[in-house]
Formats: sequence, structure tokens, C-alpha cells
Amino acid sequence: MAPDEFFAVAFGREVYHGRVETPATEPTRRPAFGKVLGEALLVALVGTALAFAANALSPRGLKLSQNYFLTGAKAMATNQPAALTTVTDSTNSPAGTNVSAIAPTPVSVPRLVENGLQSVDSVQAFRFYHDPRREKDLLVFVDARSEESYQRGHIPGAYQLDPYHPEKYLLEAMALGKAAEVIIVYCTGGDCEDSELSAMLLRNVGVPNQKLFIYTGGITDWASNRFPLETGARKTKKASDPKP
Amino acid sequence: MNTPSSAANCKAQEVVTLLARLALGALFVYMGLHKALEPVDFLKLVHQYDLVNNYWLLNAIAAALPWFETFCGLLLLGGIAVRGSALMLILMLVPFTWIVFQRALSQQAALHIPFCAVKFDCGCGNGEVFICRKLLENLSLLALSVWLLVGGERKFSVRRIWGSAGSSP
Repeated sequence: MAPDEFFAVAFGREVYHGRVETPATEPTRRPAFGKVLGEALLVALVGTALAFAANALSPRGLKLSQNYFLTGAKAMATNQPAALTTVTDSTNSPAGTNVSAIAPTPVSVPRLVENGLQSVDSVQAFRFYHDPRREKDLLVFVDARSEESYQRGHIPGAYQLDPYHPEKYLLEAMALGKAAEVIIVYCTGGDCEDSELSAMLLRNVGVPNQKLFIYTGGITDWASNRFPLETGARKTKKASDPKP
Repeated sequence: MNTPSSAANCKAQEVVTLLARLALGALFVYMGLHKALEPVDFLKLVHQYDLVNNYWLLNAIAAALPWFETFCGLLLLGGIAVRGSALMLILMLVPFTWIVFQRALSQQAALHIPFCAVKFDCGCGNGEVFICRKLLENLSLLALSVWLLVGGERKFSVRRIWGSAGSSP
């Protein structure tokens, strides 16, 4: 394609019989379909190249080589020791916690079962919240949402582990996870699977499956029960926080 | 020979086409940037459709699509490669609309609710929307894109403005 024709295609000048028309005659004529296809192809090629470049330059851009959804986690889960799906009583509770059986959000259960994770509901989560071990970081809450959501409100004393930015939090979470007896991971609740992704990240770095619990109702359930919330950075982890 | 009425029709058509181009361009820039600035949220939404298993491909779609939409929107706003951009928008809108429609059908079946009561975030850049509204919106965008593909008006385009500036004495 000659330079004249290239710019004619890109900038909309119609080309007929190798001649570039002047703008004055343009609205009355329509280019051949092949020309439109060529223009679309040019848009597709330049647009795709610029799109990937913009993603690479953006500080929030995605890493193309990173598996954000841990598709291999199911296989790992099967290698973990006896995973429970829902803790049924205190004798089954790995950390000696008094956990009763209340069905979690139905949407999440099959996914949790598939990934070999345990679930807790709001009653159990609130009981964990008042567990004295929380003061010594032997029982920790982990917030799997984005930084922005965390700042807007989280369970008091909860640590962060955004599974889409593990490089920021994983080191601290891994140390915590190895020292703690119980780790309750939550996200927004409902269809949100970020808590499971964070739990699987912890499991992948060696935190035993038995310590990991998913609070299926998430922050939505927590807030709707008027349980305490903390905004901004993590400040407290006292079990003596006011009851709702 | 041009009669006054045909000239007026032509003028009206030009104005409609110009408005269509600017509206479509602005909307795609807005929706594209909305997604591009929160790529993880968009990635999660794309993931929910369960269309691709390969994570490289999934990441590539979520990373490039928002910026590509923004690019097409900017081209339309600038009046550059209008027909080609319009064709690209049609090629994106048709499968998107079909996929959203299919997902709405599956949600309707799962929840046992009327079709128009189905509401979810389709990843289109507007958050949660009722499906009937979304489908109507997409069909309108499609109609505007087809109009531009056929009409391709370039008044107030970058080339025109540059051209007239360059030709002025």
C-alpha cells in the first residue's frame, strides 16, 4: 500500500482507481467493502498493539503470565489431608474450636467442596471474632478483597491478602498463617470467590488445609448483622470489642 | 439536481450521523476506561463467563479489550477510520450481546424469575443492570454502529479540521 493510500484508508479519504478524492466529494461516495475491511483490519492491528502496550504501562495492568484463578488448586486439594467441607462440632474442629453446623451460602458450597475447603457462617465467624486467641494472632481473619474495599470497611484486626496482588501481602500472610491455629478468610460474600483463591494461595505456600476456613457470607453478611467494622488501615484485634 | 428538501434531508442525516458518532465514541471511551482502570474486576467478570480455560488467553482478553474499546471510541470521536471502527464495534457487540443473552437465560432458569427481572454485572462497564435494559442498550449501539458503517459522516473530524487549517491562507 502506498503511503498516500495508507493515510487515505486510516483517515477516511476514499480511494478510487488509485486516485485520492478531495474531501469535498466525500459524503456522496461510499468506499468499496474491501476498503472498509482493510480499514477495520488496520484498526484491529493498531488497536490491539496499543491496548497491550497500555496494559503493560498501566500500574494496574494485568500480568499476562500470572494465573489469577489457580486452576491447579483442585489437584492440590486432593493431596491435602482429610479436608472437611463444613465443620460439624467441636470434636471435629481441628483447632479445638466450638463450631456448630449451619449451612453456608448454597452458591459457594459446591465450589468449596470441590476445592477441599471448610466453611463457616456468621454465627461461627462472630464466635471466632471473640475468641481470645485472636489477641495473640493465633486466630486471624484475612480479608481477600481489594485495598480500596478493605479501606472502606473490614472486620477489625483483619489482615489483607488480595489474591490478585499476592506480591504485596503473601509474605506477611504466610508467616501469620504458619503461626496461627485458625485462619478465617472472607471476601464480599455471595458469588465472590476471592476468599477461596486467597485460602488456596495460603495452602500453596504450606499453610495446612485444616487451619483454613472460608466465611461464606463475607463482609456483606458481617455488616448486615451489624457486627463491628473497622475502616482505613488495620488497627485493632481485641476480642473485647463491643458486641452488636 | 438538488432540491431544497433533499438538501435539508441531507443536512439532517449529516447531523444525526455526527451525533451518532460522537455519542458512540464517548460511550466507548467511558466504558473502556471504566474497565481499563480496574482490570482485575473486569478479569473476574470475564472469568465468570467460563468461555476460556487458558489463563493466558483470559488475561489477554481482560487486559486488551478495555483499551481496545477506548481506542475505537477515540477514533470515532476524532472521525478517524470511522467505518473501520464501526465495523470493529459490530464485530465486538454481536458476540458480546449473544453471550450476555445466554448467561441471562441460564440465570433465569436457575432462579425461576421472569427474564426481564434478571440482573447482573455483565462486565460491560455499567455495573449491575437489568438484562432487558442491557439488551436494548446493546441493540441501540449496534444500530448506531451499522448507521456509521453505512453512512460514515466525517464532519468535525480530525482530518477535516487539520485539512481546513492547512488549506487556509
